[in-house]
Formats: sequence, C-alpha cells, structure tokens
Amino acid sequence: MIMPLLQGLKITFLHMFKKPVTLQYPKERPVVVPNYRGLHALKVSHEQAKCVACYLCPTVCPAKCITVEAGEDAKHDKYAARYEIDLLRCIFCGYCVEACPVDALKMTQEFELANYKREDFVFVKERLLEKK
Amino acid sequence: MVNLTIDDTQVTVPKDATIFDAAKAAGIRIPILCHDKKLQPFGGCRMCLVEVEQMKGRQIPACTTPVTEGMIVRTTTDEIVKARKLVLELLLLKHPIDCPVCDAAGDCDLQNLTYEYKVNLNRFQDEKFQHQIDYENPLIERDMNRCIHCGKCARICDEIVSYGAYTFMNRGIEAKIGTEFDGPLNCEFCGSCVSVCPVGALISRPFKFKARWWALNKVKSVCSYCGTGCQLTLGVKDGKVLTTIYDENQGFHNGQLCTRGRFGYQFVNSDKRLATPLIRKNGVLQQASWDEALTLVAAKLAEAKNAGGKAVAGLVTARLTNEELFLFKKLFKDGLGSDNIDHSAGYAHAALTAGAMESFGTVASPAAISDIQASDLLLVVKTDAYETHPVLGFEINLGVKRKEIDLRIISDKRGKLAKLPKAVTYVHKPGQEVALVNALAQVILAENLQDATATGIEGFEALKQQLADYAPENVAATCGLDADAIKNLARDYAKAAKALIILPLGLGYPGHGKALAQAIANLTLLTGKVGKEGCGVLYLGEKNNSQGAADLGVYPTAGGADADAIMTGCLNGSIKTLIVAGENPVVSYPDRKRVEAALDKVEFLVVQDLFLTETAAKAHVVLPACSFAEKGGTYTSVGRAVQRINQAIKPVGEARSDFAILNGLVASLTGSAPYADVAAVFAEIAATVPAYAGLSLAELGDTGAILPVTIKPRFVPAGAAVIPVESGKLALVTGSALYHCGTMSRFGEGPMHVCPEGYVELGRDDARALSVKEGDTVVVKSASGELKLKAKVGTRMPQGVVFAPYHFGEASVNSIAAGAAVTWVSISK
Repeated sequence: MIMPLLQGLKITFLHMFKKPVTLQYPKERPVVVPNYRGLHALKVSHEQAKCVACYLCPTVCPAKCITVEAGEDAKHDKYAARYEIDLLRCIFCGYCVEACPVDALKMTQEFELANYKREDFVFVKERLLEKK
Repeated sequence: MVNLTIDDTQVTVPKDATIFDAAKAAGIRIPILCHDKKLQPFGGCRMCLVEVEQMKGRQIPACTTPVTEGMIVRTTTDEIVKARKLVLELLLLKHPIDCPVCDAAGDCDLQNLTYEYKVNLNRFQDEKFQHQIDYENPLIERDMNRCIHCGKCARICDEIVSYGAYTFMNRGIEAKIGTEFDGPLNCEFCGSCVSVCPVGALISRPFKFKARWWALNKVKSVCSYCGTGCQLTLGVKDGKVLTTIYDENQGFHNGQLCTRGRFGYQFVNSDKRLATPLIRKNGVLQQASWDEALTLVAAKLAEAKNAGGKAVAGLVTARLTNEELFLFKKLFKDGLGSDNIDHSAGYAHAALTAGAMESFGTVASPAAISDIQASDLLLVVKTDAYETHPVLGFEINLGVKRKEIDLRIISDKRGKLAKLPKAVTYVHKPGQEVALVNALAQVILAENLQDATATGIEGFEALKQQLADYAPENVAATCGLDADAIKNLARDYAKAAKALIILPLGLGYPGHGKALAQAIANLTLLTGKVGKEGCGVLYLGEKNNSQGAADLGVYPTAGGADADAIMTGCLNGSIKTLIVAGENPVVSYPDRKRVEAALDKVEFLVVQDLFLTETAAKAHVVLPACSFAEKGGTYTSVGRAVQRINQAIKPVGEARSDFAILNGLVASLTGSAPYADVAAVFAEIAATVPAYAGLSLAELGDTGAILPVTIKPRFVPAGAAVIPVESGKLALVTGSALYHCGTMSRFGEGPMHVCPEGYVELGRDDARALSVKEGDTVVVKSASGELKLKAKVGTRMPQGVVFAPYHFGEASVNSIAAGAAVTWVSISK
C-alpha cells in the first residue's frame, strides 16, 4: 500500500532536478516560425496601404470574414476605404495572402489574439496596418 | 437553308448566316472580341479564326464569312489555338494588366480568353499607352489605355443609337477611339458603349469601384421609367441596387437601354427615400408608426364610404404594377363605392382610354413593337417619340438604317429622328397635328386612295363630310406647310404596303389627346392599315405601366370625376378626401397654382410615394412606398407585353409596397380577407380583364407575354381645336427631355448629372432676335405666370416656337402652362 505511493513521490522528486519540458509562457516567449499564420497585416508602401481593394481576398475567403469597400482617392486610384477582418470567423488559412495580386497582405507571427469583447475581434484597417 | 459541318456536327442554318452564327446554333462557342450579335460583322480582332477544309487550311474569321453548302469547318486545331494565342499576346502587349483595379475584371472578354488560352508569358515587349484618362464625365469613364480597338463602342453608337460620338482616330500604333475633336464626351449618355466594351476601357462612373461583377446578385426586372418596357438586370449587393447589367439576350431590344434605364437606377437607394410614415400634427409632418397611420387612413376612408363615396377620390400613377392598380381600382369601386379615380388619363392617356376606345373599341394600341421594323413606312407624330421612348427610337433607327424604312415625321420641331438618313420631317405650326392628320385623310378620300374595307366601317359618311373642311389648301396656311407636301405625304402613306403610325403620349403633351388619337385612327382605318403586320398605330404610353392602367380601367368608367374634375372637386369642396398614390400633380399636372390650391383645400390628403415630393409635402398622411426593385408584380408595356418584375432588395427603411398598403385597406373597407400574394391578384386580373385571360404569373416567366388585341373599328370624326395665335409672342410647347421621364428620374443621380434643371430651348433666330445666349437665364412669361429658366439655343426649334421639359419641381413649367397644346409666352432677359 505504501510502496506505490513512494514510487510516485520518487518520480515527482526526480523531476525537481530535471529541466522543465513546457514553455514557461508568458514569462518565456515561444520562437514563432517565419511561415506561421498569425494576425493579418496590410503592408504599407510610400506611407499608404498597398491594398488596391481588388476584392480577391473576400472572394477567396472560405470563412467570409473579410469585408472590403473600395474608394476612389484624389488621383482617381482605387484604395480600400474600408478593410475589416472578423477574426472570430477567420480560420487562418492564408488564402487571402495567396490571392493578393499586389502583395499587400501578409500574416504576421502575432498569435496573442484573445480579447474581452466580441467587437474587439473585428480588425479594421487602421488596426491591420503593418507596424514598423 | 444551308447544310455544313462544324467540328463534325451537322448544322443547317439560313443562307445569310455566318460561320459564327452557325457554330452558335450548333452550340459550339467560337471566341470573339469585336463581334456583337446586334452589330454588323466587323472582323477586326481575329479571335474567331477557323479553318475551312475547302479553303485548304487557310484561317478565316468566322464572324464575317458567310456559310456555303457543304462547308467543313474546324474551330479548334493546334494551328488555330496558336494563332489565337498570338492575337492575345499582341493585345496584352499594350493592354495594361491592371485587372485588380479595373471594374471589368470578372466580366472582361480579354481576361477570360487570356485565362482560357493560358497566355501566361508574352514573347513581345513594348511600352504601354499613355493616353489621358477622361475622369471628368459623370457617367462614362474612358480609359483608352485599356482599349483593344474592337470598335464596338463606335459601331453601336453609330448603328443603333445613331449618335456617332466615337470614331477611330489617328493611324497605326497611335490609333485610338476618339470623340469629337478628341474633346470631352458630349452625347446622349445611353451607355450602350459601356455595355458592349469587352474590356474596361469604358466603364460606368456611378458604379466605379462599387463592387466586383462576380459579387453582384443579378435580378431580372423591367425598367420603371417609360412605357417601352425594356427588360433589365439589376446588379444587387448588400441590399442595394448598385448598377444595371447588360444582358444581350433580354427583351426585344437585346439588352439595349437608354440613359434613364442604365444610369437612372439610383433613386431606389436614394438618401431622400421616405423611411417611415408621416402624419401631419399641428401643421407639421411628423414621423409615425404604420399602425397609427393606417388606422387613421382607414378611419377617414370608412367615414368617406359612409358618406356615400362621392366625396372621395384617388389619383394613381401608372408606374404601379398591374396588381397594385387593380387593388387601387377595387378599393374605390368595392371599398368606397366611388368612381372618382384616375391615372392622369384625362391629361395624358386620353388617347388610349377615350381615343383608341372609341375608334378601335379597345384601350390598347393595335400594333406591337415588332411592327416597327416590319413596316415599310413609319409616320412618327413628333420627333419627341425619341425623347419619350428612346429604346423605341433605337428600333426606328435600326429600321431606317438596316431595313430602309421610309421615315416621315410630322412635328412642331426638328429632332434626333429628323437626322436619320432619308427621313423627311414636316415641321408644322405647334398644335396643328389634328388638322394636319385630317388633311392627310382628306387627300386620301379626295384622291380615292382609301382601302376597299373603309366604306364598310361605321361612320364613314360622317367622316367624309367632316373631312371636307380639311382640304390641304385650307389647312396648309394654318399648319405652316405646303399643300403639295401634305398631298405627297398622304399619297405615300396610302400607297405604302405596310405603314405604322407612332404617337407618343404623356403629361408633357397636352395636344396628344383623344382628338389626335382618333384622327390618326381614322387615317389608318381609311387606308386599311391596321390589324396587319407592320401596320397600325402605336400609342406610346408615357409611364412603364400606362398600358396596364388603361387595360385595368383605372379611370372613371361610370361617370366619375377624372383628374381634372377631381381638382375642380377639391377646389369647390365636393371632394373632401383624396388618395394620391405615386402621382405628383403639383409638378406634372397642368396649372400648378390651381393644383396647389386644390390640394391645400382638400380636407384629408393621403400620399403614397417613395419621396417627399411637392405633393407629399401637402399631405396629411404620407405612406412610404416601395420602388420597383423592392416588389414583385407585372407591368404592361407599349406593345402590350405583360412582363414580370422581381424583388431584388428588401424594402428601404420601413417602406411597404403599394400592394401591401392597398391590400390592407381593401380588406378593411370591404370586410373581405386580404389577397394572399401578388399571384392571387394577378389570377383575379386574368379572370376579370378579357385581354389577360388565361395568363398566370408563373407562366409569364422572364420573357412575358404579348396580350391579344381585337379591334372594333369605327370612324369618329375628330375636330381640330382652333389654336389662337397671339402675334408677337412665342409658342411654348412642353414635353419630355431625353434624360428624364415623369418626375421620378429627378431622384436618380445619373439623369441629374446630365440634365439637372429645367430649361427653355430656343431656335437660333429667336435667340438672336432676343439676344439670348446659351446658358443665359431668361424670364418666360405667359398669361398664367412667369418663370426663370436657363436658355438652351439650338437648331432644333423652328422660328417662333420654344420648348420646355416638364419634369422639374423648381421652376416647373406647369406654373406657366395651363394644359393647352400651345402656351403663348414672351421671353425677356
């Protein structure tokens, strides 16, 4: 009766001298691989989003989580007047990045996406712009 | 018929078919860029190359090569694919690859073919074009850098629209599609060029960047402007009508639309749409709930019903569906026991409801739209037929140009139709149409050109006697025409094997009433030109469902008050309750002051409308109604075609369709159960209106049905009203502007971009005499009032005649015109 207990305690005791196998998050940060599909970012070039609002990402999106509305700027060029991704619906498949004909979208290594309110999961254009 | 083999398939086609047509008949697709089924073959793009065995392997264009007996055609061999790839590579050499920002992407022939033929690389290299892009035009954006020189825009503008806004200019590598002196586009803005452009060189500016083609929900419907009944496809996304989509297989017009149909859809989602019912409290219209508004209306109507129904009247627009009009009629007939109901028939459609009714025994035109191109001679009364019904104008253009129809126009002004090849225009003095038509009939009788059947028709002798006064010599001077010209026209009309008369109607044309319709009917009956293909009269009802309103008897049929009498009744207090559904009498009925006084006087005014119109602003209760995109039902067009409209979007705000409103009111006033749906009402229409017998809503399908017409001819002498001439004054004639229809198009952005306000159009001589220049503001003064209008100077108006369109609320022409065919005015700066 006492032996199994002692054997168990022995394992516990031995572990006290071993290196921990789990990552001590959040004190320790994981190494995120470069091709990790985390939060999306709209790439910026010449101080504006590269996105030309071609609507290919909402078209290809299997989760229908992207909303784009195009606008016409002062130079008559097309730009995304509205660009939103609903992360609660997003399945992080990365098709949007693949479909983008102007390389305007990428997926970052940002994985900490928890939030308190549902509306905070809707990332509008300003939140999606690439931070440098 | 010719037999040939295409890709091992046996095909039999008519001998005037091309290889392309034959392949299409066999279900074989040959790629095309420059070909359109509506246009003459062009053979410019070389995409449709095929091999014909008899021609020893030479590649020939399928779209321009006629078929011959025993031809053996191959449409896809390795050589052909190679040749087509080369064509695409050469096109892509100059075509910018800006598909992500090009609105045509998804609906682009070049893009689709590039994908189909897998042209991933280009062997050639060159710089792209650097043409300036026309961003200025509010409706059509031209980016000639994307142009692939198919020439379809230039050809459709020339062949069908007959305007000729575009042409190829410059040579060789510098060749491009240009406008007049390479300046800004200044045309009719029908957008036909946009519809046929295979790439994104011409795009609709109001729709620019709004949505992708593939994301649009396409809903088939019928245009809600004029009576032509053009079928159209609405592009809908997120509960909004964003554009109209070209479908070359729709309707008699093959998807062809005018500027109103193509660019006038924005009224559906206008910010000005009424979203909630309004009730006047303490003199101000305030938002209210539907329950409150309907309870009030039902209570007032029940009161009116108990008082005998004489004191209640209804004005309804002919824009509503047949089902709604039926309910409106039922509300008055069964619900209220009143016959005081009209759809401006007294003002605009008396030609149908009284003229055609007495002469032909039916309220419909004894001709269909297909008769236009089947005719030998077209007699158009007023060049305005083009402005009021532009797509029928295209039919006339096509008939004149392709079938060499002899086009004769009797009109008080020149116009677009007068410019067609070999068209002869008889410019008469304003208001003399009846006298002129009577003179034509007189010549036919005098010269014994009448048809053998004419003498057997009731009223022949009376007509003969009456016409004796209208000898061309007597009439010529007052008409301002040469007596010989009148005689020649009469002879040509009588001798033509097939002849069709076209008469546009509308609130802008007070002279086109019962008398003119009957004078024309007499002319057709005299010469026996009715009831045969290519013959008869087409009365062009103004609104999308004018014909339906006439068919359903939405006018006083048992001695009730018509629109004019209703106004009088309101003024003298005999009519106390008035329901106005969609009409805007303040702007569109003659004599604005009188109409305003009448509407101010009436004790209880209910208005059902999309917008807070000038009329709705006077109402005690305003009920927000639905546009054609928000409801289902049927319209009956000029050619007696019953066609379905389909609901494309949910009602805007709290708006309810007139069907729902009227259905509720009918049920509460008659105590019967409300109709289940639109189909139930249509079934009742089919059961009660003879012309609609046997039809059902489901069977109408996308194409609709042409109603039968049987005529009981009778000669009814039509006397010409004497037009008093006031010397030293100008004759003002009113009518329709090309870009507008009724007063609803004012709420569409497209029409307002090109024609934002009322104007008065003068001939050059008058303008010079008054030293008025284009764009000057002039004061137009008549006996009943004065108006400030912008002047427009052109070659269209003869000396002494000025024209003003009636659509506009501010400075509306009805404040100086009181419903006479001609209003005498003086113009000063």
